Formats: sequence, C-alpha cells, structure tokens
Amino acid sequence: MRSAHPAPPRRQLLLKTLAASLLSLSAGLAQPALAQGGSHATLAMVAEPQTLDPMASTADLVGTIMQHVFEPLYTFDAKWQLVPMLAEALPKVSADGKSYRITLRKGVKLHSGRELNAEDVVASLQRWMDNAPRGKAVARELAGIKALGPLELELTLKNPYAPLVAQLALPTGMAAIMAKEAIASPLKDFVGTGPYRFKERRPDQYVLLSRFEQYSARKEPANGYGGRREALIEELRFVPVPNANTRVEGALAGQYHYADLLPVEAMARLEKAPGKTVPLMTPSFGFPYIVFNTKEGVLANAALRQAVQTAMGPGEMLAAGFGDTRFFSAEPNHFPKGSPFYSTAGAEKYNQRNARLAKELAEKAGYKGEAIRVLTSRQYDFHYNMALLMAEQFKRAGLKAELVVVDWATLVQRRGEPKLWDLYITHSGQFPEPMLSPPQLGEGAPGWWSSPAKTAALEAFNREADPVKRGQLWAKVQQVVYEEVPYVNVGKFASLSARSPALQNYQPAAWPFFWNTSVKP
Amino acid sequence: MLKYLLSRLGGMAVVMAIVAVLVFLLTRAAPGDPVAVLLGDQATPADIARVRVQYGLDQPLPLQFAYWLRELAQGNLGDSIFLQRPVTQALWERAEPTLLLALMAVAVAALIGVPCGVVSAVFRGRLVDQCFTGIAMLGASIPSFWLGLVLIQLFAVSLGWFPVSGYGEPGAPLGQRLHALVLPALVLGLLNSALIIRFTRASMLDVLGEDYVRTARSKGLPEGVVVFKHALRNALVPIVTVLGLTVALMIGGAVITETVFGLPGVGNLVVNAVLRRDYPVIQGALLVIAAIYVLINFLIDLLYMVVDPRVKV
Repeated sequence: MRSAHPAPPRRQLLLKTLAASLLSLSAGLAQPALAQGGSHATLAMVAEPQTLDPMASTADLVGTIMQHVFEPLYTFDAKWQLVPMLAEALPKVSADGKSYRITLRKGVKLHSGRELNAEDVVASLQRWMDNAPRGKAVARELAGIKALGPLELELTLKNPYAPLVAQLALPTGMAAIMAKEAIASPLKDFVGTGPYRFKERRPDQYVLLSRFEQYSARKEPANGYGGRREALIEELRFVPVPNANTRVEGALAGQYHYADLLPVEAMARLEKAPGKTVPLMTPSFGFPYIVFNTKEGVLANAALRQAVQTAMGPGEMLAAGFGDTRFFSAEPNHFPKGSPFYSTAGAEKYNQRNARLAKELAEKAGYKGEAIRVLTSRQYDFHYNMALLMAEQFKRAGLKAELVVVDWATLVQRRGEPKLWDLYITHSGQFPEPMLSPPQLGEGAPGWWSSPAKTAALEAFNREADPVKRGQLWAKVQQVVYEEVPYVNVGKFASLSARSPALQNYQPAAWPFFWNTSVKP
Repeated sequence: MLKYLLSRLGGMAVVMAIVAVLVFLLTRAAPGDPVAVLLGDQATPADIARVRVQYGLDQPLPLQFAYWLRELAQGNLGDSIFLQRPVTQALWERAEPTLLLALMAVAVAALIGVPCGVVSAVFRGRLVDQCFTGIAMLGASIPSFWLGLVLIQLFAVSLGWFPVSGYGEPGAPLGQRLHALVLPALVLGLLNSALIIRFTRASMLDVLGEDYVRTARSKGLPEGVVVFKHALRNALVPIVTVLGLTVALMIGGAVITETVFGLPGVGNLVVNAVLRRDYPVIQGALLVIAAIYVLINFLIDLLYMVVDPRVKV
C-alpha cells in the first residue's frame, strides 16, 4: 500500500527538477547547431567593443555594431560615392565653398519616439567635434554651426574644406546623430535613428540590438550603405569570439550566421564545406603602413628615410604577412583602381628592394650604423611577420634594425613618444577619402610629419571641391609621400569572413551591416 | 581553536594588504595607456590627455593609490574604463561560468584521476600502472588550446553535440549554460586529471607501505577494504589539497580554455583588462582572486581536520 502513496512533496520537487534539467540538457543536445526560432542572427566578432559610444573610438568594431543604431547625415553607396542618409539630399554648398546648408528628411523617428530635428543634429555634431578624434579635425576648419529651422542647419567653414561631407559620412568615429536629451559623456543611453535599437550589453558575452519598429527608411533602393534600410531580422546578436580558430570552427559548425575576419589559412577548409558556410572575400579591405619618426632620432633625416624606402620590398613583406596570393596585392597606388584617387605617382620608388642603392643612399645621408628601432606588436600576426622580413631587408642594405616587440597597448602609448621609436607598423581600412586615413596626412599624428611640400599639396587638395580635380591633386600628395617618406603604404590586403547559407542577401562591406539581410528559417 | 582561527585571519589580512600594494604597483609599472587603446588610432595626444583627466589618470600615483584604498574601504572596487560598469558587477557577472566550469572540471579530474591513481598504486610497476603514468605524463604536456580545438572539431563541428563557443544564447536556461560548459570542462578536467593521477598514486604508495595497512592485511581483511577504507581514506589529505588548489587555480587561471571556447569567465575578463590596461578591473579582479585563493587555502586547512582526525590545532 505504501508504494501507492504519492512521493513526499520535497522529493517530488527534487525529482521534477532533475527531470527538467535532464530534459533541457537533452533538448540542448538535440538542437541543431544553428539556433533557430524567432528571427535573430548570431554574429561572431573579433573582440569585445572598446566602447559603444560611436564617437569616442575610431575602432572598426565599434562602428560596425553601432552603425545599426546611429545614422550619419550622409553615407557611401556601393561605389563609395557620397549619398544622403538623414539629410534629404547632398548639402547646398555656397559658391565660395564655405557654407554648407543641410536639410533633414521629414518625419525621421528617434528611438525615443520623438521626431528628429535640426537641434538634435547641431547638438550631436557639437559633441562629435568636442569629443571625437575625427570631429576635432573638422572643428579646426569650422567657423560655426547653427540651426536655421526645424529641419535645416548650416555649417560655416573658415576656408573651403572638401573632405567635410566624407568626414560626416564615415561609420567609424562616426558623426552619429542622436537625441539631444540623451547626449552625455560618457554616453549612457543610445538614442539614435537606426533600423535597430540598443537592447542589452553583457561584456564578453553579447551586444543585443532589436528591430526599431518605427524606423523611417529612405525611398531609394538599397545601394552600399545608402538607400533603403530594412530590419528584416528581429534581433542582432554581436558575440565576441576573440580566438580566430574558434571563429573558423564556429563558422564550419554553422553556429554563427556571420563570422568576421578569419585567418586566410582557413580559406581552404571553408571552401570544402559548401553546405555549412560561405566564405566571403573583401578585396582592398585595408593597407598595412609603416610610419617613420620624422621628428627625432636617426630617421628625422629625410635622406635616410629615402634609403630605407629603397631597401624595403613590400611585395615580400606582404607575402610574409598574408601568405595566400589571393589575399594581398603589392601596388604603388594608395587607392585601388576604380577610385577617383587612383594614381601611380611616385610608383618607381615603391617595392625597390635595392640593397646596393640603399647602402649608397644611406652612406650619402651620413648613416653611421645607428640602430633603427622598429616598434611592432604580435597583436596582429601580419605586423610581426612583416617586421621580421623588413629587418632582413634592412640587414642586406647594411641598415641595423632593432625590433622592439611590445603588446598593442604599449605600442599605442609609445608611438606618442618621439624618443622611443624610429618606425612602427600598423594598418588601416581602405577608406574612400584620402583625408580619413592614415592620420599622418593630418597634423600632430605620431611621426609628426610636417613640411612645406606637405602643407602646399594638402592645402590645394583640401580646398578643391571638384572631384575630378581632386583626383589629380591627390597624385601630387602621393608623390610628396614617396619623396619625403613620412610613411610607406605597403600594399593592399583582402579580408576573409564567412556567412552561413541561412543568412540571405548579405552584401560584403568594409564595416559589415545586417539591415536588408534575412535569416532563412 | 579560536586563537588559531584569529591568528589565521590576521595573517590573511596581512597577505591581502601586501597583494593590494603589489597589484597596484605592478599594474602601473607596466607600460601602456588605457586611454590610447580606448580612443583608437586617430586620437591625438591632446585627446588622450583630456580623457586621462576624466579617469583621474593624470593624478600622481600615491594619490591614485589613496583614492583606490578609500574606495576599497567602502567595499567598492572602482569602475571599469571600458565596460561602463562597476568592477564588482563585472566580476559578479562572470562568477557563474567560472565557478561552474571550475567545479565541473575538478569533478571530471577527480573522477578520472583518483580511481586511476589508486589502480596505479595498487598495481605498482605493472602494465596498467605504466599505462596510467604514461597517460598522466601525456596529459600534463598537452597544451589546452590544442586539446580544446580537437574536441571542438570532433564534438561540435563533426558531431554537432555541443556549441563551438559561448555560454548559451541570451537568457539561456541553466541546462543550456551547463551544456555549453561540457567541452571546456572536459578539456580542463582531462588535463588536470594528470596531476591528480600522479598525486593519488604517490599518496597511496606512501600509505600502502604503512604498518597499519600491513596489520589490516594480516588480519585477513579483503583487499578492497584495505585499499578503500584504510589506505585511501588516509591518502585523501594531499589529494583534497590539490583538488582545492586546482579549483582556486581555475578561477582566473583557465584563461586559454575560456578564450578558445569564448566563455565570459573571470580569466577572460582579466586577460582582456591586461591587454587594454583597464586598471580598475585588473586591480579589482586580482584582489578578489587573491582573496579567494587565501580563503580556499584556509578552508582546506579546516577540511584537514575533518578528513584526518590526527590533524590538530
């Protein structure tokens, strides 16, 4: 009879809990690797973002995530042409090139539900110019900014400054437009106008963005970052997966809808798993460059910088850095073919790898065998591999390279100290407008390049508004870079990412975006 | 007993004070600047200087140390420069995966290590002993990232039984979170079982040579009773110590495994903080890890008294 009695409540509870845990465990086991249900995309990124304030950092990762939440006034289409985003149309520029009148699109909703107005834009741009590294460069050129009406504002410049609209359009260090009342430092509420709104961040676990139902899309068809944006996926989950091999395995297992920046050696494995993953290659994704200290130390001597440039073989260096020839190209033009800034000016000085001539030039420059301190880090394998090879090229030319290998945080601090280095290795994304990168084209960046030839070439370039003439004027700037050697643009590299076959209509981009993409159930 | 406890607690306080000073000095002695990392490539020296003021990094070091101590006295570990939240919250969020992983891994290590160690000791010099000792050597020499990737390829990519990385989906139930910990726990458990095998074997060999074991055998007790009741019970003291220290080591020390499996654990937090020079997080996390270490050592000492009645204060 006892066995007919129900189990005591506590035991019953224990049994139920145990059964439930087992069931949930087995449910987990039975689940397909790609999480389904609802509509969300799991996007494996290279790290935890430094911050979510889109203005505070120029890091690509911050821009990639937050471009879904905040929008700029202008953006780029698939051919890197400037197109309006929150602005109704491209700005009306006065004849003297000093006044930019901007009209905003009507009825654009902020994530708070209120309509965007010119006051928000003025306050946002003010914050950008006060805080953001890119904004400060623009602030130096600006005479004033004011709202002319609810949807109209005017930017007045001290002198004509052609890169202005491109500066306003870039997704990194973004001139993000946000609700005036949410503006604070540090930024706590992320009230933008984008197709996604900020939902939650758990550091080292995820950043969640959810669809903004009242999003006001443009009417033009989607084109690059421009045109109609539509949040087809309900929730975007940006997940930091810092280990590159884990990102590869996750892509192969179909765990991620998108896996960002994979090691190029993974290409063969990705290609062999067609049902599971689709490899994505973005050519001319970026360029490694080597900055010279023009202010102090042995390379403050321009003639010796020429000798060093002569000794260098960027082709070999790229091969050491990237291996697979599909992923790099050694070319002297700082901008790829098809760009208005494509030019071969100074090409004869690129990729010389001429030890004999370099030795002669170094002797003429008065080189006495001083150590050339090469600051590099192993944060990016290709930096380090290129540094090793470059040191060998220097050796062949009788130049004494001393590798100073530090971690990335130390490198970004030390490069600000002119006494501590002669060369450092870094890289940048390939941007559509020369003035956006490398920062050495501006003032005060590490390397401290400053010369009459630089000022003359860049002033002419920045004052010219006509795109065709700007292309020709860029050739002169590139020529000066090859002659004065403030930095060496090593060449172009492509990036490798992967998407799951379930992620549809994804368009590869320098800063991956996921509006207009959908997930096949 | 009370006197012993008080003197131990006093010693612990001194250790923690030394740790606090060392952690602060070492963090600041390292080159690198969190603000330069935070602001990215395009930041000018003026931008960096301005933001350094915001975080109080422009103050002289003794003053920064005094501020930190004042905060500590109020139970506040400071705010992270990068995570936009207090260090205590950041640590609290990572406590669960780290603790669960450490416990699961130690369970795996003990379940493999103790029986294998006992068998090895009982059959000393025989083939089975040599096999287990060999496996232990192998286990101690395999790098955890390699084993991690091998298990990922086999169980996550090929068989699809476990996720490759992460700690479940947002808002995942406990079952799914535990499921995500199985592979990393296996990696850590397998690698640490090597140590447990060797310790158990050595400890058992010591005990098996004791007079009372010979007495127990001569009384005609079955071998199972001799090994498990008389020998193993007495051999447990050093094994418990090692298991306890292994748990302590995994809190903050399972960095590579956490990185390979993308787990949001304490080790990951500390390493990222070091790479970015997030001073408040490095200081706070190291202090808490040191406190846990000290506390676990203390608890192990107390546990001795339970496991081995001969240990007296």
